[in-house]
Amino acid sequence: MYSKVYKMTIEEQLIEFAKQGKLLTHKCTECGHLHLSTAYYCQKCGSKGFEDNVLDGVGSVATYTIITVAPAGFEKYTPYAFVVMDVDNTDLRISGFMPNIATPDDLPVGIRAKIAGFDERGILIEKQ
Amino acid sequence: MTFVEKVCVLGAGSTKYGKLSESIADITTQASVAAIESAGISPKEVQASYISNVFGVADKQVHLGPVLMSRLGIPDKPSLTIESACGSGSVSFREAYANVAAGFYDCLVVTGVEKVTHTGTEWTTTYFAYCSDFFYEGQAGASFPGLFASMARAYLTEFDATEEDFAAVAVKNHDNGFLNPKAHMQKKITIDDVMKSPVVASPLKLYDCCPFSDGASSVILCSEKFAKAHGGDYIEVTGSGRGGSPAALQGREHMTTIPSTKLAAADAYKMADITAKDVDFAEVHDCFTIAEVVDTEDLGFFDKGQGIQAIREGRTKLNSDISINPSGGLKSKGHPIGATGVGQVVEVFDQLTGKAGDRTVKDAKIGLTHNFGATGASCAVHVFQSV
Repeated sequence: MYSKVYKMTIEEQLIEFAKQGKLLTHKCTECGHLHLSTAYYCQKCGSKGFEDNVLDGVGSVATYTIITVAPAGFEKYTPYAFVVMDVDNTDLRISGFMPNIATPDDLPVGIRAKIAGFDERGILIEKQ
Repeated sequence: MTFVEKVCVLGAGSTKYGKLSESIADITTQASVAAIESAGISPKEVQASYISNVFGVADKQVHLGPVLMSRLGIPDKPSLTIESACGSGSVSFREAYANVAAGFYDCLVVTGVEKVTHTGTEWTTTYFAYCSDFFYEGQAGASFPGLFASMARAYLTEFDATEEDFAAVAVKNHDNGFLNPKAHMQKKITIDDVMKSPVVASPLKLYDCCPFSDGASSVILCSEKFAKAHGGDYIEVTGSGRGGSPAALQGREHMTTIPSTKLAAADAYKMADITAKDVDFAEVHDCFTIAEVVDTEDLGFFDKGQGIQAIREGRTKLNSDISINPSGGLKSKGHPIGATGVGQVVEVFDQLTGKAGDRTVKDAKIGLTHNFGATGASCAVHVFQSV
């Protein structure tokens, strides 16, 4: 199982963890700075050494929009929200698709949210 | 840094911006011819072209350079196409600038172009989303209005601002664009028009958004000695700056500021030996109303959070404290994305050489252009001075 995960692309690994509600991150082995796992070098110190660090994909909504004019393939989902979420206990944020949001009353900024999967709509985020 | 040559803009021209029926190759050539004729030079004096374009594939023409050069009767001259999303024009201008400054060339044509409206709203929205950090943003259904709407909601949450304040940016730019015969949307609008227009991506409404436009703009960039030898009106490029930001909004420390703008502006101000206070007018990247507010703060015209107050007080109107987007900006003049950064230089050239007609910024000596790609992941700022 581990060897299968190991052979995945860096994006596929992130997706697999997202499907379990987790966020795969890269922690710099030199300075400890935390990145999303698509980083190849540390933004802070330039080091290439990372260790995988799996977080619970939970946090709060930093900002969002409700999209009514959608790109191709997304018309059938409108209105939906594109959400930027602050990840708990880190400086990281993760973006994603949140279904069934029609008005700002449905989604106050700061509301608790979590990674809820991945499909053709990208990383899915839901209210907790 | 030491440069071999001072760099000047000797001529400028644009097609009308809007829904155009001609091919991408044709409008690229029309704008280039307008710039060549404005400069009073022969195409044979052009040594190379820099072309900015993003979605040539949508009009079945990439590798635009040789096509342009062939139509100009100079197929033996080299060309280069540059893509940096909506910032392509200014990034291409910067590379052309660097080549003249370094002494590689004395005279270049710098042309930006886009032809997308025939693909329709859904597909243009889709193509533009490819300019985002697609794995995190476009893939999750984020449109460009959606990304800027996310910035707008962050701004509304953080500062004392209202959706009506954003609408005032659109009204101001349409007032300016009404005076620009090349503008895509040459009409005045009201706050009420903006507020009642359909929501595209909340809190942004249709009239908070620039239109999808076709169009081409071109300038002749040359060494000072070339400009002097030709005797026509010219302006000097006194500052050129570049910067970058994390590709996705989620990677930014603040979602109400664009780091690349600050970096590019600092670079350009230093090279021009000026501060933000010295700028008489600026063409800034107002793809959405929120963007202009953020731009005017990041460029140092107003403190963080005060850009909205400046709009409310009318301090950025034509011939007020600082004229922002006298051309009408992307909002009213239109946004053919590959052309926009070059089109801003066309406006500055027209302003500083007395060709801007009813929208002239009075007694202007120093103009600035600010143009970025995507949500500001790439950016270039240029400073120009009349001579």
